[in-house]
Amino acid sequence: MSKAKSENKSGAVIDYQGVLRDIAKSMVRLRRPERLLRMIIKYIHQEMNLSHASILVFQENQKYFSFVDSKGSRKIPPQLVKLDMDHPLAKWFQRGQSKELPSMDYLSRAQISRWMGDSALSRRLKDQLRGLIAAMDILNIDLAIPGYYKRALLGLLLLGEKRDQAPFTDPEIAFFQVLAQDCSMAVKTAEYHQSLLERNRELSGRLEQIEDMRQKEQDTYYQIMRSLAQEVWAKDAYTFGHIGQVERLGIMTARELGLELTEKKRAVLSAGLILHDVGKIGIPDHILNKPSSLDKEEWKIMRTHVEKGVRILEPLTAFKEVREIVRCHHEQYDGSGYPRGIRGDQIPIGSRIVSVVDAFHAIVSTRCYSKGRPVAFAFEELRRCSGTQFDPEVVEAMIRALTREMKKRGNTFFESPHQAEGPSIPEESVAS
Amino acid sequence: MKKLLVVDDEAEICDFLKTFFEERDYDVRTAESGIRALEMIAEDKPHVVLLDIHMPGMDGLATLKEIKSAYSDIKVVMVTAIETQEKIETAMRHGADNYITKPLSLEYLEKDVKEKIDHVIDMQESR
Repeated sequence: MSKAKSENKSGAVIDYQGVLRDIAKSMVRLRRPERLLRMIIKYIHQEMNLSHASILVFQENQKYFSFVDSKGSRKIPPQLVKLDMDHPLAKWFQRGQSKELPSMDYLSRAQISRWMGDSALSRRLKDQLRGLIAAMDILNIDLAIPGYYKRALLGLLLLGEKRDQAPFTDPEIAFFQVLAQDCSMAVKTAEYHQSLLERNRELSGRLEQIEDMRQKEQDTYYQIMRSLAQEVWAKDAYTFGHIGQVERLGIMTARELGLELTEKKRAVLSAGLILHDVGKIGIPDHILNKPSSLDKEEWKIMRTHVEKGVRILEPLTAFKEVREIVRCHHEQYDGSGYPRGIRGDQIPIGSRIVSVVDAFHAIVSTRCYSKGRPVAFAFEELRRCSGTQFDPEVVEAMIRALTREMKKRGNTFFESPHQAEGPSIPEESVAS
Repeated sequence: MKKLLVVDDEAEICDFLKTFFEERDYDVRTAESGIRALEMIAEDKPHVVLLDIHMPGMDGLATLKEIKSAYSDIKVVMVTAIETQEKIETAMRHGADNYITKPLSLEYLEKDVKEKIDHVIDMQESR
């Protein structure tokens, strides 16, 4: 800008810098760029004596330039008129001007007339210039200023002639150029902001939906698994109440071990305790309920309940760790268990707990092949196998926890499983 | 003289199109309603009518029907906001000569009106 100030219609001086500062401030505030564009048009209309001032913005969806606003005695109704992408003005500013002409980021009628007088210009370029003049006639404008963002034409500022028909001065044109650039930035910023907001909203909405569906699916599947597990235990004549007792004892043991039981970890352990034998659903009743001991072949079949359980639980993707607990619940501390023969810490802590609790419960329960024994006998038995079959720490923790519990509640906790509490599972231990 | 009637309930649009076509040597009158348009046509028949569809009272489609049944030689160009295909087809069935949606290209509008008027004048002169 060669001059920062210029005279307006009333002879007063326009403080361009001041106006620019005001507009820059407004830009920051405005989420809706149309308001800024309207403000600018209003300002131009008030300060300069033009037949009209109009502003157009490219509409990405419709692929044309639409009028945001137009003011002045020769204003163009914004709802009536558009400029297509192949409009001479749009094409001129989009493609960059001819190399035959000095580069210029605006078009004025005076400038085009000067060019037309140049006999050295090619015929093709002169035809193009004539097309531009015709387009400017139709829109009744003297000056067109483009607004770019990263070289894409975003909009146009169209200005009608001055009342006194004087040509636009260089500072005026420079001022309009700055305005047009500001408008482009405002439009682009607002667009970006808007699209970010929309994308965020869309994404979080979809994530919620997916999470919701996944959760429902998992819940349903988990419920199915629970009823299956229930059925397995029901096949065993003794098992009334077994699920809840095993689960509670397992959680108590985990606490006693000082494990940090987050909600998720607790749910996983609960599910492991409840579901570890779910694979027995695939074991024939005559093996499962055989009163005498199993022969070699029958044992082989019996042991497949681990692998079967893992397979049944495959769809429970939210509980991958549950599968691991089930897979390892017949592993032994010294590595002599099955199916893989892993040992010590290689066995998930959940499985180590399941194996102790399950063994304890088997000892104190009356089963088809054995009568229930007293708790003290079970403790003895667990300690005897501690370090070989069982993790010693888990054994001691379970004994401590159960002893304390029995002192608190009397000896009813495991003494007579037949009359122990019903099959219902305490509300708080239902895995979600 | 090329005679044009602009029918639109928005004064801003009537004024703009009146000035626009007057500067291009048309004799332009404007009407803000369908009833008023029919009165003006009865007084002095235009060659072409630019007709909006959405107007209070008698709408553009009804006006179109009236014009076409009484004056088959007047060309009627519907100028309206984007409409359903059904409405466009109804307009065409009632004899509309073209259907231009707003916002429009002024170049196209001028060309279309010029062609229609030239055609009407040619037909009248050859009779």
